Amino acid sequence: MTFLDSLMAGLSLVSNLEVFLALGLGVAIGVIAGAIPGMSATMAVALTLPFTFSMQPVTGILLLLGVYKGGIFGGSIPAILIKTPGTPASSATVMDGYPMAERGEAGRALGMALWASCTADLVSNLSLILFAGWLASFALNFGPPEFFTLILFSLTIIAGVSGESLLRGAFSALLGLLLATVGLDLIYGTNRFTFGDPNMMGGLNFIAVLIGLFAIPEVLAMAWHPTGHLGKTRSLGKNKVTFADYKKSFRSILRGSFIGVFLGSIPGIGAAPAAFLSYSEARRKSPNKANFGKGEVEGVAAAEAGNNGVAGATLIPLLALGVPGDVITAIIIGAFMVHGLQPGPMMFVVNVDLIYGLFIGLIVSSVFLLVIGSAAIRGFKYVADIPRRILIPTVLILSIYGVFAVNNSVFDIGVMLVMGWVGYLMMRMHIPAPPFLIAFILGPLLEDNFRQAMLMSGGSPVILFRGPITWFFWGLTAITLYAILRTGLRGPKPPDSDAVASPAKN
Amino acid sequence: MKLKPLSLLASAILLGAMSTAALAEYPERPINMIIPYGAGGATDISARAISEPLSKAAGKPMVMSNITGAGGATGSVQVKNARSDGYTMLFARVGSHTVNPAMKATLPYTLDDFRFVTVYEINPVVCAVKEGSDIQSIEDLAKKAEEGGVSYSSSGVGSMLQLAAVMVLDEFGVKDPLNKATHIPQKGGGEAATAVLNGTVTFVCTNSSALANLIANKQLKPILVTTKEPLAGFDAPTAVELGKPALTELVGWTGIAGPKDLPDDVAAKWGEWMAAAVADERFMKTMTSSGSIVELMSPEDASAFINRQYETFKKLVDKLGMRVEG
Repeated sequence: MTFLDSLMAGLSLVSNLEVFLALGLGVAIGVIAGAIPGMSATMAVALTLPFTFSMQPVTGILLLLGVYKGGIFGGSIPAILIKTPGTPASSATVMDGYPMAERGEAGRALGMALWASCTADLVSNLSLILFAGWLASFALNFGPPEFFTLILFSLTIIAGVSGESLLRGAFSALLGLLLATVGLDLIYGTNRFTFGDPNMMGGLNFIAVLIGLFAIPEVLAMAWHPTGHLGKTRSLGKNKVTFADYKKSFRSILRGSFIGVFLGSIPGIGAAPAAFLSYSEARRKSPNKANFGKGEVEGVAAAEAGNNGVAGATLIPLLALGVPGDVITAIIIGAFMVHGLQPGPMMFVVNVDLIYGLFIGLIVSSVFLLVIGSAAIRGFKYVADIPRRILIPTVLILSIYGVFAVNNSVFDIGVMLVMGWVGYLMMRMHIPAPPFLIAFILGPLLEDNFRQAMLMSGGSPVILFRGPITWFFWGLTAITLYAILRTGLRGPKPPDSDAVASPAKN
Repeated sequence: MKLKPLSLLASAILLGAMSTAALAEYPERPINMIIPYGAGGATDISARAISEPLSKAAGKPMVMSNITGAGGATGSVQVKNARSDGYTMLFARVGSHTVNPAMKATLPYTLDDFRFVTVYEINPVVCAVKEGSDIQSIEDLAKKAEEGGVSYSSSGVGSMLQLAAVMVLDEFGVKDPLNKATHIPQKGGGEAATAVLNGTVTFVCTNSSALANLIANKQLKPILVTTKEPLAGFDAPTAVELGKPALTELVGWTGIAGPKDLPDDVAAKWGEWMAAAVADERFMKTMTSSGSIVELMSPEDASAFINRQYETFKKLVDKLGMRVEG
């Protein structure tokens, strides 16, 4: 069958109203679910799955993919408006999105998040269609040693999100690494820091830590100083993103999209690290580096491009290898199986019409995301206009509800509240929260892959240099470390000196 | 949970009053069903597939909640500590209820803390190597393991996958399989299969459903299935054909359990509901399409089956010194 035949077969499969309705419905469900804190994209996809069993395969799978893509974008809405990431993937969006909302630019931040998401989504889908086979065979070269070097390099992001003081950033990261060790040891299966409590055996719930660290300190700050915000203006969120904004951030969006595609095609990393990596790269390359973390629109664009770039690319290992790249694609694989379809290389021969049908549907989904996302923003941005004395207690209630809903566990609410105090103290002492989060996500990956690599080699560290991929990442790590040290040794630059000095007074 | 003596007494009286009421007309409110594994996993899909016909049979909704962590222990403990009024029930699984209790010394529960009302699904176990590997059969694997340099993946310490690989090596005459072959645990079942595909490990033994598509796509090659009869779609000899009938004990399963003091009539009700629920066509299709065998057991059969498997695993764990302390 020629390419054109396959394309026509795919078109005939998807060219009915039902398919497009399912796709649109999926995106809408995803955006709304993603916008509710604690209702992650994963949960939304899992809850939608049973409804797809009675549908045609292509309809059902596109419905799920719509929920997935909508959910990843939807997470940025509360991240920007109330400093509470709706899904873990949008935690990098908080860093610049929330300061923008504080300044009364919620509409602009949300608009940029949408444009960046849709662009990245399109790039990601095109990469899936054009390079699936190539990227998949590349991803198969990633064993534990390659993973270890990639994660090690990713940890250098910490320097990029530390804000004013690298030392405070490193301290924050250490705290994150420490808390990430709670739970069962992967290799021996023994308990670590669980204090005999079964609730701690699974480790600290990621969403609880996330919301505790970002949203709760705002609540505490409000309770501590109820009238502190009155001087600051928080004008109506009526502003919009301009084409000039988009053009200015376009390079970062494109770079973020490719980072997302690259990390998404390798099974087992997920969207949150991609968002952080894209953000820190954008900051490194940007002329107004100093403004990152204080409400830079390019930061929002980079973070959202990074996490949405992952969404299409996670289908690469799924379709080309039959391997789920993350939890969400593991659920979607279930939808394939129920219809008797076996994702993998053979599917490109046996069910080529379905593959092309999915490709066409995915391209259309980027457009749907743009339309439905705009409508959602129009509705949600008025949250920014709600008076703070009403908004903040609402955030507290939403946070408690959301964290409970993840695992139906009261213990997790406790974790969130304790982390809230930790986050508040960190805020008071000018210790940045993002390094904590990155270390909390990447720390366990680093440890597990290191130990798996050591098991593979029988304890010889030589395996960590076993091929070109490892050399590449060792090289990148060395260059980045050198750059960080050089800026560090040169001492604080004149415009930064105030910023470095002021926290010392506290 | 910490309760003051007085409130403990009060709740005991209340519980007594409530349980007599419950006996009269169970269920009079929705039933809370705990899935101790994450959304989208084998247990979750199986649980959600049966929930609909089950709710219909019971006449009250079943509220599904995933309480994940620690290889199913977090959710299991929650049911162990729940009231035994039949309104909090657990989807128990091979990993959480036979492998974990056999392997982990510090597990916060034992098999005796639960009363099983049914086992409704059996998943055959398949061992597979990478397609194109020089290992053609399970004998080749055993021979290579004797020489050293063989490794296997699992979804974590105390998972069925780990025990399955060790048990298979042991059955095929590998002496001291714990030291001759290297266990490289992964974060989940999907990752365990990927590890074989990208060459991190030599082989994996896991539920047929986790490998079905990789084998259909000729990326992995099955070398053993643990059923008595050959398994459709898996071109490999069965444990019986290979003269190792003991390996037929090695199967995955999903069942439903309540706290240990679950009243008899509640268990009996569950028996009736399950009989009606498994007859549902859509449930059947969901299960069989992923390679599972629907096999409904009565409460007594289920307990006997689980205890037998536990004893088999326990014996192996003790013989090889696999118990995880601390």
